[in-house]
Amino acid sequence: MDNSKNEQGKLVCRCEEVTEEEVRQAIKDGAKTLREIKMITRAGMGLCQGRSCSKIISLILAEETGISIDKIEPAGYRPPLRPIAISALAKAKKKIGKKLKYKFSSAYNE
Amino acid sequence: MIETEIAIVGAGPAGLAAACESAQVGSKVIVFDENNHPGGQLVKQIHKFFGSKEHLAGVRGIDIGKKLYKRALSLGVEVRLGTVVWGYFENQLAVVFNNQVEVVSAKKIIVATGALENTLSFPGWTLPGIMGAGGAQTLMNLYRILPGKKVLMVGAGNVGLIIAYQLLQAGAEVIAVVEAAPKIGGYKVHADKILRNGVPILTGHTVKEALGKERVEKVIIAQVRSDFSIIPETEREIDADTICLAVGLTPLTELLWLMECEMRYESDLGGFIPVRNKNMETSISGIYIAGDVAGIEEASIAMEEGRIAGIAAAESLGHIISDKARMIKNRAEESLLQLRLNPSFAPRMTEKNKTNNGIIKNSQIEILNRNGSIPIIECNECIPCNPCETVCLFGCIQVGTTITNLPLLNLDKCTGCGQCVLACPGLAIFLLDRNYSKDEAAITLPYEFLPLPKKGEKVIALDRNGSKVCEGEVLNVILTKKGDRTALVKIAIPKEHADKVRSIKTTRLDSGKEGEN
Repeated sequence: MDNSKNEQGKLVCRCEEVTEEEVRQAIKDGAKTLREIKMITRAGMGLCQGRSCSKIISLILAEETGISIDKIEPAGYRPPLRPIAISALAKAKKKIGKKLKYKFSSAYNE
Repeated sequence: MIETEIAIVGAGPAGLAAACESAQVGSKVIVFDENNHPGGQLVKQIHKFFGSKEHLAGVRGIDIGKKLYKRALSLGVEVRLGTVVWGYFENQLAVVFNNQVEVVSAKKIIVATGALENTLSFPGWTLPGIMGAGGAQTLMNLYRILPGKKVLMVGAGNVGLIIAYQLLQAGAEVIAVVEAAPKIGGYKVHADKILRNGVPILTGHTVKEALGKERVEKVIIAQVRSDFSIIPETEREIDADTICLAVGLTPLTELLWLMECEMRYESDLGGFIPVRNKNMETSISGIYIAGDVAGIEEASIAMEEGRIAGIAAAESLGHIISDKARMIKNRAEESLLQLRLNPSFAPRMTEKNKTNNGIIKNSQIEILNRNGSIPIIECNECIPCNPCETVCLFGCIQVGTTITNLPLLNLDKCTGCGQCVLACPGLAIFLLDRNYSKDEAAITLPYEFLPLPKKGEKVIALDRNGSKVCEGEVLNVILTKKGDRTALVKIAIPKEHADKVRSIKTTRLDSGKEGEN
């Protein structure tokens, strides 16, 4: 039976194939929020946008740092909340171009 | 630009109930849902719901969803399916339908986006065949695809117990339900339904590892301590081709984070939820919430919250005067109070009740040995439910105004008609005739598996834990419209087993297994 994947370590983020060990290492290297863990490891950056893993990672973060779970906020949400085609966005430029520009620039210039 | 007075995100029980309530008083309402079917999770809930008549107790979830949708349409609500809400810009929602982006301008927004399933990470958890229990339920009840043949269910809350039962109905073998907590989290009646069909519930157990090449083939389970750490040398290897994870839900709050609503963490309610007032209005004026996104509860509660949000939104638009709105909200709040009565805190019966003339407690029924069929009510947990009371034409069953009371049975007027057996959403009522013949007793069971047994057929009679007791002979099978696909199967068994037998297994169950519904 092929258990090679299991031996490499337990995956926590399956979209980006990030292991539990990598997440723990990121925390040891100083990450204190889900966003920082995401920036370092890509955990939560895949197609599901952390819908599967963010709860698991929150628990690991709480365990490693002693930060109370109710203080660990999601990594942050910004549009689009669901995957949508670039072509749809391009077509929508006239309708919401100004709004998008405003919102995206404010979101990404944090 | 799509313009409306009220935009609702999510066409599940909360969203549709909100839509109905606000449209009824004249609001213009549009509901958006990313799925192509209305009703949210109700669309695959093929079991009968608990509650009271007002909550549509005894009706299957799927039919509640259809009713709500029909009602919403008849009230002029526009329901846009297959439409994804993906952004919120300057008080307007951005949606995409058929690869076309639209902007929605609404005076009020009700967010009823529901929840998402939690996962559990253990070595091998990404192997094909391991999925959320809700996902498995979608596969079998919506798309008619059996997720696997040998299934291990993880989690003994209501979701795990209900879906384990539905997997049995669909023809899968459920090897066991494992639950890390020391006791079963879901309703006892749901647990009983699978136990008596031979599914063991292993509390204090967890999944340690899944093994397999192309997909899961084996799973290692182990016992855990109260801190959920694995007890060494308790590991067991089990063959399984599917593992279903029913380990809780998380409110799907991403849109509310985007709107910058104030959030707070409530572990009992599934995680971060928006702060709201009595009107279900968030910290941002004009943005309301209802259903699981406001905290994980169940569908009847979601509908009541939807009603409150819907009427509050309509009220703030001036469609209903506040006195009238107050009345509707009060009614919904009372209903919520009833539904939220925690089983463990439900008022127990007083000693006086137990010994009232002619009224006896369930556990005492078995001492009665009268001729003819009498109901045996095996409902020993205070859950919010009373269809047995409302269905009885002769007033023999009493639950009372506190909906979580245990049913009391007055046998004086009971005719043994069996309506209560069909009405009980928990399938916890049986009819027993101890003196069916000289040597035999007859027991009538609620039965929801296909194919139905036939009159004269020999079946295996099972006890409450699904172990074989004896052989039984089917006396008759009744399928009525009122029973809504729950059949009454009456079997004859040797008298001495009358108090043991609570289920049957047909000997040809393996030949043509098919899902109910």
